[in-house]
Amino acid sequence: MHVVIVGGGEIGFALAHGLAADNSVVVVDHTPEVADRFEPLDVQFVLGVATSREVLISAGIERADVLVACTGLDEVNIVSCAMARQIGQPRTICFVSRADFLQPDARGLAGFGIDRVIWPEAQLAEDIERIIRSPGALEAETFADGAIQLVEYRLDPDSPFSGRVANLHLPRNSLIVAVRRRDEFFIPRGASTLDPGDKVLVMGTPEALRDVRRRMTGDTDAHRQVVTIVGGGDVGLQLAERLEREPAGLTLRLIERNRARGELIAGRLHHTLILNGDGTDLELLENEDVGHSDVLVAVIDNDERNLFACLLGRQLGVPRIITRVGKRANLKLFERVGIDVAISARGAAVASVLHQIQGDPTRLLAVVEEGAGRILELDVPPGYAPRALRDLAPPLNSIIGAIVRPSHAFVPRGDDRVEPGDRLIVFTTYAAADQVRAYFTYVKA
Amino acid sequence: MRLQIVVHVTGTLVRLFSPALLAPLAVALLYSEWRDAVGFLGAFATTALLGGGMRWMAADAADGLDRLRRVEGLAIVSATWMMLAHLAAIPYMVAGLGFIDSLFEAMSGLTTTGATVFTDYTIYGRGVFFWRAMTQWLGGVGVIALFIAVLPRLAIAGRELFFAEAAGPSDDKLTPQLRQTAIALWRVYIALTAAQVAALALAGMSLFDAVCHAFTTLSAGGFSPHPLSVSGYQSAAIEWIVIVFMFIAGANFGLQYRAVRGGRSALIQDEELRAYAGVVAVASLLLASVLIADGMTSLDAVRHSAFQALSILTTTGYASADFERWSDQAKMVLFLLMFIGGCAGSAAGGPKVVRHILMARFTLRELKRTLHPRAILPVKLGGRVVPEHILRDVQVFVLFYLLTFAVGAAIVVGLGADLITGITASIACLGNIGPGFGAIGPMASFADLHPVSKIVLTLEMWIGRLEVMTVLVLFRFEAWRTSRWAAT
Repeated sequence: MHVVIVGGGEIGFALAHGLAADNSVVVVDHTPEVADRFEPLDVQFVLGVATSREVLISAGIERADVLVACTGLDEVNIVSCAMARQIGQPRTICFVSRADFLQPDARGLAGFGIDRVIWPEAQLAEDIERIIRSPGALEAETFADGAIQLVEYRLDPDSPFSGRVANLHLPRNSLIVAVRRRDEFFIPRGASTLDPGDKVLVMGTPEALRDVRRRMTGDTDAHRQVVTIVGGGDVGLQLAERLEREPAGLTLRLIERNRARGELIAGRLHHTLILNGDGTDLELLENEDVGHSDVLVAVIDNDERNLFACLLGRQLGVPRIITRVGKRANLKLFERVGIDVAISARGAAVASVLHQIQGDPTRLLAVVEEGAGRILELDVPPGYAPRALRDLAPPLNSIIGAIVRPSHAFVPRGDDRVEPGDRLIVFTTYAAADQVRAYFTYVKA
Repeated sequence: MRLQIVVHVTGTLVRLFSPALLAPLAVALLYSEWRDAVGFLGAFATTALLGGGMRWMAADAADGLDRLRRVEGLAIVSATWMMLAHLAAIPYMVAGLGFIDSLFEAMSGLTTTGATVFTDYTIYGRGVFFWRAMTQWLGGVGVIALFIAVLPRLAIAGRELFFAEAAGPSDDKLTPQLRQTAIALWRVYIALTAAQVAALALAGMSLFDAVCHAFTTLSAGGFSPHPLSVSGYQSAAIEWIVIVFMFIAGANFGLQYRAVRGGRSALIQDEELRAYAGVVAVASLLLASVLIADGMTSLDAVRHSAFQALSILTTTGYASADFERWSDQAKMVLFLLMFIGGCAGSAAGGPKVVRHILMARFTLRELKRTLHPRAILPVKLGGRVVPEHILRDVQVFVLFYLLTFAVGAAIVVGLGADLITGITASIACLGNIGPGFGAIGPMASFADLHPVSKIVLTLEMWIGRLEVMTVLVLFRFEAWRTSRWAAT
């Protein structure tokens, strides 16, 4: 497949990295320095502005199957997609950073010949909101219209969840689908053991997960959460707006450095206290008693200042700290210095674009750990002979997390049967994704 | 300030006002009231000649009209209202009132105050009562708004004039063109008036009285041709009709225009309207409970309390009962209502509900700021941020309003009135309400006050109707320092 990537930034590099092995990839960017970065990859680099016809033609747009526009400028992205469609017939995927281009009316950007619009910041705000709304969680996803959830916790030294997985007695309809121990990532079996400090991913129905949370965090009931957001950029504003839609149980504060921006935000929000100041200003944080927040979210557009704000928050005693990370390389560092949740806006977006370009017939519901773990959705074909779960032998490093039927969704046990028409929510590692696909294709045949 | 332009435009407006005097002339002729007819004819001629003369004197100014400056706009509006009051007083003088009383009555009419110096209602003809009601009707939406509606050329210069006269701090136009806005306002106004005339006539009022009451209800004026005001008709149906139309007169006409044009939800979403309705409900309930405790039957209590609360809140000033004889507790409720007023963009006077909302939010905001000195705390109205300069204007308005009230009350009391009479006379005139308590209660008149008090109260009506700043700014030396005759 011939793929043209417009923009050699973080997203462009991650995409090129993921696609170079199996596809012919051309990267277009107007800064020569960027070329050096792509040197180690097996891709072609075209120097020039992607809104120019000549540049696009020399990138081979006429025979391209896909064009991904991911520069930092929305207008450049849109124009290069439109231009590409005038010359060739590629599928176009366009990254944007503002809400203006995602209007609810269906036409939106379709008129420019854009097939898919991706707004990573909105995705990020959505992810952070889910995490905030699951007290104690490091990660939270929902599937099947909320009938199934996935939540990640860290096991404290005195956690009742240490020991052999088989002896945990998790509530019915819940299942530990993955464990992360430092840089290692695996799907536990009954004989695996959990150690304090491990992070566990639990899948289940909302009721079962409420039980898990109670045992995991020792919290009897969710009290009013105080949430402090540092940084009123796109993500901060998005996040506050989302949280305000259901403000019950939340006290919101947002710290923004720029006064004019703060006033604009204050005009759009209703229940959030907007503070004008620097999120790294210790005096401000102390005066406003930020240390007593339940969650601190740092979403400044600068990794260094985010890190500083987070460390101050930790120092002041905030129990849960979530931050946005711009550079992938910083991700590990952030978690190593004790930030509970570090997410990058791009990780999920890149994974979903890669999934689409690779033409995977399964649906990718979510990725965790920057794509190391994936949650796929598979339909069981009509002619399938029902089999009990224990008789199936799915590939190593994959696990059926839930079965969704029209009537209900549940976490299967060994004697539950997989029937035709079921939708399976499967957790798998990146390495095993191909095998999972193959296994279920085989089942189909 | 270019005086020639001020004189020219004021002359234009005065001349435009003259045909209004033909209506009471026709009424007087219809009822064969010859003396009054002469008065109206004289007033018509004086107005037309004076207006024409001013235009002739300042004929060179016609070219400078489209670049009207702010201070000129304020001067024109203030001068026009003052001159019209003098001209509208002529028929009263011919009918036998003295100059100060006539001016008081005319200003009370145009500013929709409804305070009267009439004591014996039998000595005046129907033409005079019609004129009294009509001045209120014209003053209700604003004479400038009327002129802009009929005079396309004024529309260019009209912006400054229109907003200098408009009630309340909002400056939203309903339509892109100011003239269309003025026409729309007048359409709503005329339609409502016709509806009320029909309703009152159906309820058994004579056509003449129905027209007079419709004129003075929708303008929130309060003049009644009956010496006992609305209570003189002894009809619950009429009182309920007046209650409904007083409520409408106190609500924003622009909002009603939009609601009729589709978008009924605008009515529910409007914060000021909701607060206004809330004040009406709370005040009526309070009044009703006091009246019932004082021995009134509950049905009468509900009607009288709704009527009187609306009458004072919307600054109409009608009486369905002699509330001077109510208990002090009931009077206190009414007294507080005098300081509220109706909605912005309505015919009502007073400080307006929206200013109270803004002042309340501003105060709460400042309280919150002491807790969070670094917080950004915009004051919002209807989900939109209110600019700081408007908040400042509101504070300054309230300050000057209360100052004017205090000075007026001090003078009236100083000249011999008792405390209650002096205080309520000052707020009743400044707020364009009409009756007060004590010697100027709903069934009494202002006739017995000291002549200087009457002049002060006349000025208060003028200042109150033009929302204080329009007039007071002209008392600053700066406004006059660069004044000259030339129009360039």
